[in-house]
Amino acid sequence: MSSWKMTGALVGALALSFAGWTLAQAEPKGAPASAVTQEQLNAAAKDENNFLHTNGNYDQTRYFPGKQINTSNVGKLHPAWIFQTEVKESMETTPIVVNGVMYVTTSFDHVYALNAKTGEEYWHYKHAMGPVTTYCCGPNNRGVAVYDDKVYLATLDAKLVALDAKTGSVVWQTEIADPTLGYSETMAPTAVDGKILIGTNGGEYGIRGFVKAYDAKTGKLVWTFDTSPENSVGVWATTDATGKDLHRDIAAEKAQLTKTGDPYKTVGGGVWQNPSIDLATKRIYFVVGNPSPDLDGSVRPGDNLYTESLVSVDLDTGKYVCHFQYIPHDLWDLDDTSPTVLVNAKDKDGNVVPAVIHGGKTGHVYVNSRKDCSLIRFSEPMVSQEGMYTLPTAEGARMLPGANGGVEWSPMAVNPELGLTYAVNLHQPMTYQVQSSPYPGGKLWLGGAFKVIATEASFGNVTAVDYNTGKIKWQVKTPLPMMGGPLTTAGGLMFTGEGDGWFRAYDAATGKVLWSFFAGAGVNAPPASYAIDGKQYIVVGAGGNTQIDFKRGNNIIAFTTD
Amino acid sequence: MEGPVLFYNGTEFEAMFHLPDPTSTKRAVLLVALLLMSGSAFAADPIEEKAKICTACHGETGVPQLKTTPVIWGQNEGYLFLQLRDLQSGARKNELMSPIAATLAKEDLLPLAGYFSKLKWPNLQQPEAPKDVAAKAQSAAASVGCPGCHLHHFQGDGSTARLAGQQREYLQKTMVDFRNRTRGNNPGMSDLMNATSSDDLTALAEYLAGLQIDQYLGSEHR
Ligand code: HEC
Ligand code: HEC
Repeated sequence: MSSWKMTGALVGALALSFAGWTLAQAEPKGAPASAVTQEQLNAAAKDENNFLHTNGNYDQTRYFPGKQINTSNVGKLHPAWIFQTEVKESMETTPIVVNGVMYVTTSFDHVYALNAKTGEEYWHYKHAMGPVTTYCCGPNNRGVAVYDDKVYLATLDAKLVALDAKTGSVVWQTEIADPTLGYSETMAPTAVDGKILIGTNGGEYGIRGFVKAYDAKTGKLVWTFDTSPENSVGVWATTDATGKDLHRDIAAEKAQLTKTGDPYKTVGGGVWQNPSIDLATKRIYFVVGNPSPDLDGSVRPGDNLYTESLVSVDLDTGKYVCHFQYIPHDLWDLDDTSPTVLVNAKDKDGNVVPAVIHGGKTGHVYVNSRKDCSLIRFSEPMVSQEGMYTLPTAEGARMLPGANGGVEWSPMAVNPELGLTYAVNLHQPMTYQVQSSPYPGGKLWLGGAFKVIATEASFGNVTAVDYNTGKIKWQVKTPLPMMGGPLTTAGGLMFTGEGDGWFRAYDAATGKVLWSFFAGAGVNAPPASYAIDGKQYIVVGAGGNTQIDFKRGNNIIAFTTD
Repeated sequence: MEGPVLFYNGTEFEAMFHLPDPTSTKRAVLLVALLLMSGSAFAADPIEEKAKICTACHGETGVPQLKTTPVIWGQNEGYLFLQLRDLQSGARKNELMSPIAATLAKEDLLPLAGYFSKLKWPNLQQPEAPKDVAAKAQSAAASVGCPGCHLHHFQGDGSTARLAGQQREYLQKTMVDFRNRTRGNNPGMSDLMNATSSDDLTALAEYLAGLQIDQYLGSEHR
């Protein structure tokens, strides 16, 4: 179920890779992979040679410390190599680079180990997909985690797989959850302290969300944190984090609660993206996605904790530390899917404190305290907000942002020198329609529909926000809604791609476009950077996007300046 | 062993189903009963034998006997499996298919799904939709985001159905069934169909039926 995603246009590449494959059959050429230590993973933020985590480092800043490629020479950037994968479908992978070996993934859970200098293939793993896959928003995969001598992948059929980094063969595999109940995986795992952390998709299927930790060596489950507590009702909040009225009918919800009880077992709460790891306190921070069913609140009375919340748990035990909910009892799928970033930010009194930030589908960047999860501030809206929070109706009620945001799954990047965070946004007017149906046992459970309004313009933007003030520093409008995410570097740059195929470098301080490259397919994957033999590279996937139907491709493109 | 002897011929069978009089249902049910009797004789045989009973309606070459019977040859395995499961449990109901599903052994559902998924999707020679119909369908599809789940070429994957090249009348019927929740095994699809106007549905059925996607399917996949 895989190579059929190729098209005729790729016959040449196909023939080539087929030849390579035959060769590999005769004489398997392993990757010269070196073991990754915990010390290396801890020090990733300062590593100018490797890209060891999906979001760069445990803080998830996506800030690369190398500055060989910088504002003065970025105009000379050109492809060093292009690798064509076998799968021409949505690409959301962040390439991981360890001592010259690059690991990339594709839709349908293929993993490639490549020579990061030449783009040559060392090995190719195709996951043997189980028959039932219940995923939302495309057959995506966002990448691998690396630790010791293994590479870790989570799959559409909800498996966690450990591969031998040298050969790509399976060391162990375990089922994270039952895919027939709506669980699936598209995120990259996180490797830390001998554990592999993983969340889950499934907020469109009535799951009970979680973050789980597995033993990296054996695949044994270490702990599970359920994202919905047995009492998910909360405080009957009537406003969101920014004080906007949610128009809840609390009396009706209370009556429903008496009738059907706490909905925690099917209330959703996926965790789409990697947690940030605070190495000093051994706490992890992550955001939890939407409640199920998305648009129909009548069957899930209460605040639906901890959906649409920031949550912190203890790294060693998975025990709850604190949470903060942004939209209690959400009816618009305006959830939190972009990963958290740890920064030091000014609190309300101007003291610099350990903070955790993320971009919401609402279009705000939220800044919370790491200590107790409380909200410090939220940014100016990065997108138009119109008619928030108009209740969904049977006919459909218009509202902005649409259900894709604001900021979708795309990670943010943080440039600590400038005190800026970069977020990519969508402007997609939608109508929100509500319909009610009982829990369907793992089948699609939307509670209605969100429809893009075809007669209205959709577009996007790249926004730099000062997280110490919440003010927008600069913003650049893009012709298409944005999905993918940025990378920022010590060279004063910020890189991000667009759905029409353009990949651009911006001046991180001003937003001026300094360089553009047309990749031929949507650049909807977050970029990474690394260096080999003292030469810095920027790398990005160009494969388009299923969810918003951007032009598909199968390219991994590495750039350099000479 | 020889395959089961089918005690009717295609035209006769089709004629039965096209009879507008109220006895047609009864006849269909009778036929199902007869088929089931013949099927049970092969209960111990490998999956190909068990699959023979299906040809009576889903066709010997993958082309279904009736326009409202879906193509199952080359359909995605997970999708076929879940439909058989749901038809068996009653979550999805159909007077022709439910009685068949009821007799299948649970442990045969996945092998049957696997068996049919590996057969080649037949070309039903349905015409490509005219430009205006295609444009209408594409706009409706973009608005709800059908390709987000059914994928770029409407080939589906895993538990999501392939729609490209499916029988037009069946598509129309099942989308309307979703809409009025007669087909109750996927409330999400029902919601999406309710969010789509009925003339958009008609355009979608015509457009999807006329899609030829063989060129996008590599050798590894059927
Ligand atoms: C008596 C005629 C008949 C026989 C025999 C029959 N089917 Fe069906 N089948 C149908 C009809 C009609 C439908 C469409 C049901 C509906 O409209 O909801 C259907 C639907 C299905 C579906 C759902 C497909 C989809 O696209 O949703 C599957 C799977 C299926 N049949 C498998 C089988 C298998 C396997 C067998 C043999 C064990 C079989 N059928 C035998 C008439 C039949
Ligand atoms: C969020 C995912 C999703 C979206 C969006 C979606 N579908 Fe589906 N669709 C499914 C799934 C899953 C099934 C399988 C249903 C089941 O489990 O019974 C399905 C089934 C179907 C079927 C039945 C196929 C068969 O063989 O019986 C049709 C027809 C269909 N979809 C049409 C559409 C159209 C047209 C659109 C857009 C207007 C659409 N779908 C949008 C997920 C989706």
